[in-house]
Amino acid sequence: MADPTEMTPQRPLPEITPLTEPFWTAAKAMKLVLQKCAKCAEYQFPPELACTHCGSPVVDWVEVSGRASLYSWTVAHPPMLPYFHGRSPWPVVAVQLEEGPRMISNVVEIPVGEYEFGMPLVAEFEEVSEDVTLVVFRRAP
Amino acid sequence: MIRDKTAIVGIGTTEYVRNIGRPELQTALEAIRAALDDAGLTAKDVDAIFKIETPSEEPNSELEVARNLGVPNLRAWGGAGYGGGAACAPVVHAAMTVATGMADVAVAFRSRNRGSGGRPWARTGARVPGSGAFEIPYGLVGPVQQLAIVARRYMHEYGATSEQFARVAVAQRACAAKNPRAYFREPITVEDVLASRMIADPLHLLDCSLETDGACAVIVTSAERARDLKQPPAYILGASQGMGPRHYMMNGLLYKDDPFDFPTIYAARDVYAMAEIEPKDVDVALFYDVFSAMVLWQLEAFGFCEPGEAGAFVEEGRIDWPDGELPVNTHGGSLSEAYVHGFNHVLEGVRQIRGTADCQVKDASIALVAAAAVVPSSALVLRR
Repeated sequence: MADPTEMTPQRPLPEITPLTEPFWTAAKAMKLVLQKCAKCAEYQFPPELACTHCGSPVVDWVEVSGRASLYSWTVAHPPMLPYFHGRSPWPVVAVQLEEGPRMISNVVEIPVGEYEFGMPLVAEFEEVSEDVTLVVFRRAP
Repeated sequence: MIRDKTAIVGIGTTEYVRNIGRPELQTALEAIRAALDDAGLTAKDVDAIFKIETPSEEPNSELEVARNLGVPNLRAWGGAGYGGGAACAPVVHAAMTVATGMADVAVAFRSRNRGSGGRPWARTGARVPGSGAFEIPYGLVGPVQQLAIVARRYMHEYGATSEQFARVAVAQRACAAKNPRAYFREPITVEDVLASRMIADPLHLLDCSLETDGACAVIVTSAERARDLKQPPAYILGASQGMGPRHYMMNGLLYKDDPFDFPTIYAARDVYAMAEIEPKDVDVALFYDVFSAMVLWQLEAFGFCEPGEAGAFVEEGRIDWPDGELPVNTHGGSLSEAYVHGFNHVLEGVRQIRGTADCQVKDASIALVAAAAVVPSSALVLRR
């Protein structure tokens, strides 16, 4: 039996579905896209089959600025999945995008002790597997 | 209108322990038989069954429960989602069913081996479906982490403190110390909570509900029939469910325009309207409390204080039994008695109305029971 410490648990990755494929394809091309309602013009995230503001079935994918601010965060101490063993405490953030929606993400290159509510951030792209690039955030220049 | 048409006439539980050693169907049957005995009824009287469901797992079908109880015919049944948001919902459905004449005697129950049955998120696969695909890869995996982000924002917006969250756990443990069913009975202090290990900053271990195995059940029948049964009826004066707009589960609270626009706010509005009462009429509140911070959100949602004021409300001892103006979770709640998706809170509401609670609120005539604030929710007002 293999020594479990030698196993490298995989990072849990998103299942890419017809609904979410445009988001992940854009991320791979280092672009952040959101759904925007063709009728009421509201942005939404995460992807849905219709506009969750007005119920219109027509939503378009549009590229957005990537500019955001830090809305809140936690630091997860006991790891809940094998990948995070040895990587905890693990900070997770919620960012408010300039266009309105919020996303869960990670902040890179800023120690958690320096996090501040409202701090300006900008999208960054972190390739984690052949088909998945995660959208993360760094300090805005 | 179902106001005052039905009553809870029987309650039953198993023991609450970490490793009960029996499947959830078996403990469900035990709790339901105990509730029927308490009411002076038998399985032959039962013609409806309602239960709490979780999206991810559901071991006890109404079919199996009815068959193993020996119920001659079910005329109504169903599961109410979602987990702790459904803490009151099976009773809401039971009351609707009985009040409309679809059935005469309804069972509502929850059975859960959360102490020994493993944590749902531990089964996360290599590829994450649904909206979790946008959270779990970033390390936001379980409920405590999902609510910790919301709690930190709440602290930022309203000035709430970790000491105030801790105060909830302390007040409830003081009650649990007098409750022989409670899993944790050793009194704790605010310092103990703050010194317990950090789980998801800002929430410490003692801010979190415990994890137990066990089951509980109640019996609902018409107000008319209730008057002839063994126990003093706990009349169902108000019953509601509420979801609000653009809602997700806990993982998606931050996708809402206002994450503090909780489902429980909608359940509160409707349960008060049906019961025709105001917050000042409530003698005791049983609030779903998977994490200490949620009790603050419930106090605000149900109008016991303004948004942002619940921290001070708690700190001033106003939820303490016996001296606070609104004793909360007099059984110890999910933080100290047991974690049964909050269904144990319904039973405590009934005990308060009967006058048989271990921490009895003197002359309690109105008990409010509320499910989880943050997921599609439900509420009950019980009266003597």
